[in-house]
Order: sequence, then C-alpha cells, then structure tokens
Amino acid sequence: MLVDGDKITRVDLFASKSRRGDRVFFGFAKAAAYFAFSLVFLVFIFLSWRSASTFKEQGFSFVTGSTWDQATNTFQIMPMLVGSLVLVVLALIVAVPSSIAVAYFIEFMAPARIARWATNVVDLLAALPSIVIALWGAFVFTPVAASWGRLLNQYFGSIPFFKNEVDNYYRSPFIGGWILAIMMIPIITSVSREVISRVDKELVNASYALGATRFSAMRRVILPTARGGILGGILLGIGRGLGETIAILYTINLIFHVNIVRILENRGGAVAPMIASYYGEAESKAISALLAAGVVLFGATLIVNMFATYIVQRSEKKMAS
Amino acid sequence: MTILETAEFGPVARPAEATPWRNRSTSTLTSIGLASVLPVVLAFLIAMHFAMPGATALVAVFVPLQLIAAGTAATFVGGRRGIPDAILTVFVLVLVLLVAVVLGSVLLNLIRKGIHALSIQFLFYDSTYVTSATSLDYGGVFHAIIGTLIVVGIAALVTIPLGIGVGVFLTETRSPMRGPVRFITQSMTGLPSIVSGLFIYAFFVLSGFSKQVGWLASAALLLLMLPTVARLSEEVLKLVPQDLRSAAMALGAPRNKAFFQVILPAARSGIITAILLGLARIVGETAPLLMTTIPGDATNYKPFSGLMSTLPTYIYKWVSAGSEIAVQRAWGAALVLLILVGIIFTLARIFGKQKF
Repeated sequence: MLVDGDKITRVDLFASKSRRGDRVFFGFAKAAAYFAFSLVFLVFIFLSWRSASTFKEQGFSFVTGSTWDQATNTFQIMPMLVGSLVLVVLALIVAVPSSIAVAYFIEFMAPARIARWATNVVDLLAALPSIVIALWGAFVFTPVAASWGRLLNQYFGSIPFFKNEVDNYYRSPFIGGWILAIMMIPIITSVSREVISRVDKELVNASYALGATRFSAMRRVILPTARGGILGGILLGIGRGLGETIAILYTINLIFHVNIVRILENRGGAVAPMIASYYGEAESKAISALLAAGVVLFGATLIVNMFATYIVQRSEKKMAS
Repeated sequence: MTILETAEFGPVARPAEATPWRNRSTSTLTSIGLASVLPVVLAFLIAMHFAMPGATALVAVFVPLQLIAAGTAATFVGGRRGIPDAILTVFVLVLVLLVAVVLGSVLLNLIRKGIHALSIQFLFYDSTYVTSATSLDYGGVFHAIIGTLIVVGIAALVTIPLGIGVGVFLTETRSPMRGPVRFITQSMTGLPSIVSGLFIYAFFVLSGFSKQVGWLASAALLLLMLPTVARLSEEVLKLVPQDLRSAAMALGAPRNKAFFQVILPAARSGIITAILLGLARIVGETAPLLMTTIPGDATNYKPFSGLMSTLPTYIYKWVSAGSEIAVQRAWGAALVLLILVGIIFTLARIFGKQKF
C-alpha cells in the first residue's frame, strides 16, 4: 500500500530490495570517501613512524647540517632543502610572469580561435610526462642554457649571483630553475586563466569606457580582483615544483654543500631527486633518513597545497557571490 | 544663466569627416605597422652582423628594440599614457612566444630524435639479450609498453570506482564530512610522486610483505590518480541538473538506480574526461615506478611476480646506460610514451567537447 490515510510514509515509497541497494551504493561511496580522506594521514603517520629513529638520532641537525655520510651514520639534508628553495625561487621568477602573460593573452588579447588553440597547448604542456621534459632538459636544453650562463657570467660576472669559479656551467641550479619553471607554467597558467576569466567583463569594459588603457585596466581592475586565485595557482605551482623529481635529477648536480648565491655553478640540491638517487644504495639507517626526508618534503608540500586549496576555494566563493 | 546659454557654447558643428566607428586613423595604422616591422628587421640585421646566437639576439637586441618602437608608436597614438600599455603588450607577446617556443622545441626534438629508433621491430620486440652496445636493429620496447599497460590498467581499475565513489559522496549525500573530504582530496592532488613511491616502498617492501613487483607500482599510482579523478568527477556530477535527479525520484526510482540510469549517463562524457585526465597524470610518472619496481628486459605479463619494466623506467634505464645507442633507445621510448599521452589527451578533448 502506498497511501496510508493521508500520510505517505518513507517506508512505503521504497521497496525493501532497493533500499538495500541504496545502502550498498552509499556505503561504497562513503567508504571510498573515507579511504581517500584517511590516505593522507596514513601516508604521513606511517612515514613518520618508520623514520622516527632518524629524527631521534639526528635531532634538529637533520635539517640544519650539511653532511650525508653512511659510514658515520650522519644524515643531514640542509643543502637539499636550501637547494629546493633556490630552484623554486628561480623557477618562479620565470614562471609567474610567463603564466600571467599567457593567461592574460588567452583571455583578453587573442582572437577566439587562437585563444582556444593556446589553451590546448598549455594543457598539452601540463600532460607532458616529466621524464620527457627530463630527457629534453638533459640533452637539448642543458647545452643551450649553459651557453646563456656563460654569457651572463661574462657580462654580469661582478654580480655575486652570476659568479662562477669552477668554469663549468652544466648541471647548475640556473638550468634546474628553468626546467622547473617549464613544469610550473601550465599549472599557474590554468589556474590564473580560470580566475581571470571570472573577472566580470562588464567591470573591465566599464574601466575602458572610463578611459582606462590596457595597462591600467590590468593593474587596477583585473589583478586586484584575480589576485587571490593567482596566488593560489602560484602556490600549487610551488607544490609541484617541490615534488618534481626526475627532471631535476637529470639537470642538476646534487652536492651536499649549501649553495644559495652561485646559481651558475654546478652545485645544487633538491630533496625529491635526492631521495630518488640515494635510495638505491642506501642501508637501513640511510633508508630511514630518506624516509625522514620524504616526511619533510611531504609536510612542506602538504602545507603549501592546503594553503593553496584554501585560497583558491575562498576566491572562487568570493567571485561566485 | 546656465552654462549652456553662454555665447561660446553655441551648437557644436559636427566635423565633416567624423567616423567615430573607425577608431584607427591612418597615422595610427602606420605607426603600428612600423612598430611591428622595424624592430624585427633591425634585430635580424644586427644579429646577422654580429653573428649572435638566436636566444641572445632575441633578449638583448629584439626585446629592447621592440619596446622602444612600441613605446614610440604608443606616444604617437595615445600620448604618454600609451607607453605602459605598449610595454605590457610587448612583454605579454614575448612571454607567450617563449612558452610556445619551449613546447615546440620539446615536441620537435622528441620527434626528430625519437623517429631514429622507432620501427615496427622496436615496438614489437622486448630487450632480452640487448646491451647498451647492441645496434638499434635489435630489441625494442614491447615489454615496457606491456608493463605500462598492466601497471596503469590495474591502477585505473581500482581508482575509477573509488574516485567516482568519492564524487558521489561529495555530490549526492548531505554528509557533514563533505567539506573535510573535499579539502583533503584536493590538497592531495599535490602529493609529490616520489613520496607516494616512498610510502609504498616502505609499507610493502621494507616490511617484507612483498618484493618490488608490478602491482606495487599500481598502488603508488593509485595515490596519485585518485585525487584527480575524485575532484573532476565531483565537478562533473555537480553539473548534472538537479531537475534530472528530482524527476528520477518522482518516478519512484531508488537513488542508486537514479544514479546509474540517469545521472551517470547524463555525466558520461565528463566522467570519461575525468578518467582520461587521471590516466594522463600517471602514465608518465617515473619516480614512484623507480622505487616500486625493478625494470627487466623480458616481457612479463604477471603483475604479482617477476621484473616489471615500464616505459618511464625503460627510458631511465637506458639513459643511465649512457652509450649513444642507449640514449637513442630512450628517445624512441619517449616518443612512444608521448604518442600514448597524445592518444589519451586527444580522447579527453573529444569526450570533453560533448555536451550533456
């Protein structure tokens, strides 16, 4: 019976079998969601647990010292951490202006057909596997960038950044920074394009009607409105950059000696490639130290990504309202 | 007396040649034309004269020249305010060109160098008995292609239902956990691939549970693919009109049937795109595969035992081997990988274009 007096009860509406179906269906969805949710914590807690001995033995010097020696069981990763930061900063110098430029070009300058084409190109760049970029970086780009480095040193060698006393311009942070920028550009571009496209077109047109030029509309209308989203995109790019492994492994030297300033010398470092290149010959203590490095890397990217997600979500909400 | 009645404010005569819709005068067009042609020609001549390499000429000669030219033209057209405008335009175009050149260089070099190694036999033979000195006429990437298909296939088989399940949880339920789940899965999109490999390695291999075999690689890739599929399928399911859900309910369909027979078909093309983008994300991953598998040279169809080679680890292995032929093999494999990614990417575009 469907109708019981005036009331239609919930029980009557559903046959009992299908209710079981619903329970299974939503049970699976719930299980999947909680599985995905708990994965992050599982990874973090498990890695921390396995690497606890390293944190205990090395103490704080794990992140402040610069020696990596299996023979004496000293494992310190400061040069790699600093190297990662240097690479990310170098990459941002190239990637941020390029990405915003491409996003601006697609949204405001290009005719519709070219804009569609450019969007596809950026997406394709995002889909290129990092091993392909790594090959290109190692065999095609490195000689070119090394010649750029030589020129920079020749003309601006008096600036500390462009000093080079080893006379070897290959496998330097300078090259790694360029490669990292190529990996970051698609992410930052697609997020900024998304945000810039949501800037109210009437607002922009109104500013043009008030006599704004392209530049002043960009500086006073588009950038202030889209700032939050672009920042989120940049943070996502940083997250990607910190985690990039193989392309960096192929293009820089990993040296356990802190090098911040001399970006043209062949001494660099980065956490993710270090893990990949050292785990092969590592013994149990070293493995634990590598896991500890993984924890540090994971923690850093997770914080950056959470921050990015928060900013992007907030700016989306703000723009929607 | 209002202003309008004053003597000097009589009726304004309309200029005879007023054409406000033609917002570009001849002098504007001339200056724009000159500003776009002159710097290119001049920069080319200077670069030829001093025999500069291309990139240097571009940065050191062309960009400054173009900036000056565009700035001058802009002062002609719009006065001083035009200058930042011109600078913005020049910089935007130069940077767009830079990105295009980089992508073009990657693709061109890949095709030019990869085509050497590519042949029918390269695709259909594995690398048993191949050393770094063996000529390109012997051996190929068959085992790596099979390995990639197996590893990625298993990862996809597990990830797709899970990812869509998360999407369902986020769109079809009213659970208070939706916010946290969405936030965490979205931040997990940035999980470094090396960490996922490290985790699987520590979890299964270090604990002695398993050797480094194919399915571990799938597990590592799952961690990377799940957030992408989950997030995108949520976006897609959100786009399905609420009316469709209500209509299905009104017809008496239980919610699971409403999902499988109404909502999912409505969102089909979007879901397929989500899956394909997830695949594109993982098919070229290298770092987690390096940690979770040991690349072999023979074809291995078994994901639970033996040495498993995949395209990325094949490339890594032969680049490490170092000889010229070995590197050519790597370029060939990279081209195969690129073709694979290209197929996935094109399919994603095709399905993405279909409307609900």
